[in-house]
Amino acid sequence: MDTASYLVHRFGTSLVVLTGVSIITYGLLFLTPGDPAEVILSQQLDRQPSEAEIEAFRAEQGMDEPVPLQYGDWLTDVLRGDLGTSYYSDASVTGLILDALPLTLELAAASVVVALALAIPTGVLSAVHRGTAIDRASQLGALIGVSMPNFWLGYLLILVFALTLGVLPVAGAGSYSQLVLPAITLGTGMAAVLTRLVRSSMLEVLDEGYLDTARSKGLRERIVIYKHALRNALVPVVTILGVQLGALLNGAVVIEIVFQRPGLGMLLVDAVFERNYPVVQGITLFTAVAFVVTNLLVDLSYRYLDPRVELGGDPA
Amino acid sequence: MDTAPTRRQLLTAGVGAGIAGLAGCAETSLDDEADGTFTIVPTADPTGTGDDWDSWGGMAPYWTRVIEPLVWGTDGMQPQPWLATDWTATDDTTWVFDLREGVTFHNGEEMTADDVVHSFEEDILTDRGDFVHGWLHLEPGSVDRIDDYTVSFETTEPFPGFPGTIAHNMIDIQPPEADRRDAEIIGTGPFTLAEIEQGQQLRVERFEDYWGGAPEPTELTFRAAEDATTRTDLLVAGEVDLIHEPATSRISGLRERDDVRIETQQSSGSVFVSINIHREPTDDADLRRALNYAISQEEIVNTVLENIGQPARGPLSTVIDWAADEELPAYERDRDRARDLVSQSSYDGEEISCLVENDMDDGRTLVQILQEEFGKINVNLDVEVLEGPSLRDRTDRGEFHLELGTSQSNSPAADYIMWENFHTMGISNKDLYEADGTGLHNLGGEVDELIETGFQSHDPDEKREAYVAAQREIMDAGVVIPLFYREYVVAADAELEGFDLHPIDKFAQWGELTRTT
Repeated sequence: MDTASYLVHRFGTSLVVLTGVSIITYGLLFLTPGDPAEVILSQQLDRQPSEAEIEAFRAEQGMDEPVPLQYGDWLTDVLRGDLGTSYYSDASVTGLILDALPLTLELAAASVVVALALAIPTGVLSAVHRGTAIDRASQLGALIGVSMPNFWLGYLLILVFALTLGVLPVAGAGSYSQLVLPAITLGTGMAAVLTRLVRSSMLEVLDEGYLDTARSKGLRERIVIYKHALRNALVPVVTILGVQLGALLNGAVVIEIVFQRPGLGMLLVDAVFERNYPVVQGITLFTAVAFVVTNLLVDLSYRYLDPRVELGGDPA
Repeated sequence: MDTAPTRRQLLTAGVGAGIAGLAGCAETSLDDEADGTFTIVPTADPTGTGDDWDSWGGMAPYWTRVIEPLVWGTDGMQPQPWLATDWTATDDTTWVFDLREGVTFHNGEEMTADDVVHSFEEDILTDRGDFVHGWLHLEPGSVDRIDDYTVSFETTEPFPGFPGTIAHNMIDIQPPEADRRDAEIIGTGPFTLAEIEQGQQLRVERFEDYWGGAPEPTELTFRAAEDATTRTDLLVAGEVDLIHEPATSRISGLRERDDVRIETQQSSGSVFVSINIHREPTDDADLRRALNYAISQEEIVNTVLENIGQPARGPLSTVIDWAADEELPAYERDRDRARDLVSQSSYDGEEISCLVENDMDDGRTLVQILQEEFGKINVNLDVEVLEGPSLRDRTDRGEFHLELGTSQSNSPAADYIMWENFHTMGISNKDLYEADGTGLHNLGGEVDELIETGFQSHDPDEKREAYVAAQREIMDAGVVIPLFYREYVVAADAELEGFDLHPIDKFAQWGELTRTT
């Protein structure tokens, strides 16, 4: 399949996925128990609203129309780039997302750096020293990293680095020092997954004949491993990095609460507790789009990373 | 000679730089604050969440003392002169307020009656939702200027609780130049708004021309940390000076520290089980009394709350001056008597439902205790933990027997708690009463009359007498099972002095904060 056909195919499937996500996220409004209008007004007024107030709110928010019509209106607005308005203020959902996004992106980027910085050397060492104590220690570390709840690790890091050693702040956002602990917390789980992947990928590559050729040319072992073997072993890592974006955003929800970082995760949690459905729907859709686009980019990047890969071709 | 650094040297330098960077971070983040600046962490985000009612362009006025109302509240939950120095009811529905002279807004202008009329007519009564009309008993067009320092209010019906009701952080006075939606907050309070970092912190500065005298602190930072553990860690790390509500599990540890002091304050809130008296079998007063005799409030306070709270005998916090406690029947735990009452009642072993909201503090633990204790007097409790909307759906339809709930007032006028819960025309009861002549917690008849007397009385003694009598009737009939009066906890740097806590936590004053060293 050529690149253009592949793009059309992927764009089509992505559209199907996003339509499904939009229907599910919009349906959330009607699946949750209780009358959303009543719930929202109760929270806004801090008392039970009257029937007249509830009716007025429904009319104002277009909640008195048939559900398919409401969905159609919402989708039309979304396609125009308008994700709606928060129930609790005049703020646009798009604006709220864009305000919160930089902090989450900063956290995600820092976490990826932490994850790669931990995973690549550990995975390579583990593969090169296969079956040794180094390998077993690295695998145990990866197991612990995967198993440990990230909020627990967060509190543990706060205990050590903020409360005991006093070298880093407990929480907050805005400075690099406040990014260190959340990035390590979020990056550690991803590092554990990547370490295993780098190890297995390296083990496959290390048996390849071209490495022997490189050695026979007199290249130093470090060059053979890090320049020739690792470059090829990293192709599957790129795939997993794309998939891990979802995990990063999931993790950010908890991490942003623990470290009081007002990013997308915290915005989502607040919106869920407030039943601020336009915000919940907006963030969910935005996340889905980000996920789909990232995966598309990852797939496209294969061809450049490994020219042998045929887009849309059979795995065999 | 080759002077290029080796890989090892580069790595060493990198590690060294990293450590130096960490140390640098520590220095910048943990700098000692200059004298006169303090950092406070409330339970809610002081920059709000964009909520139109609770957050004005990013500032939640509840905590910050930037804006002020006409009336404040005393520690005894009585209306207290503030921007208004006096008020009089000139007839059943007319209130005349005398304004304090010499009050300066943060923009340098003097506050006059025009600003009060503007605040109510152009903002409070027109821009915050229709619910304000029912709450304040005021409609737009009901506030008039009499002269520069006198304003009249015409309530929609006789409303003696009006001064106490407007003693609320949100019923504030601002000049026409202010725009609360865009964080153009021009208040009269001891602090002026300096900076908002959305979702992180809010900084205010001393207002030198404050009518009550310039406050001690030069600057206050209200920092966001909604997670109790994070709040506690911030205090322990020395990053903040005072936190509201540390994590319950950490309080005993904090008490043992020399560098932290703990203060508790009884709040205007209480926790109780309200009983549906119009549904079988809890329509039987003997069964309701039996349930009351099954519970030890002291044990709950000692075990579940770690002594943060007061055992309750009535449904309202005793900081409210007309709330009854000693005057009420004492249902101390007496399982034999409870079992006798159960056998006298119409109860025949069926399950009684008990609803609790999923995010209520200690809610699940409390209903577990109720389940165990009721089991010991042979009453089966079926606990249902529900989300707020589902719970309200059930209670609106009267489809429950017991509900674990709370009451709380954010203004000195707590009359509405009695009205809404126990009067037949209160929000809890009205719809069901009008639909089928029932309700939820309304005894009707004499209790309704007593509540009406208390609600309409201008005489504090008469008001108290009526409300106490109503509460006695309610407790005699076992309409509620009181559990505890709430207390809240503040933890602060041991060197901090001058914080003035209030039964309404959002009324705390920060004007006299100082450090001992």
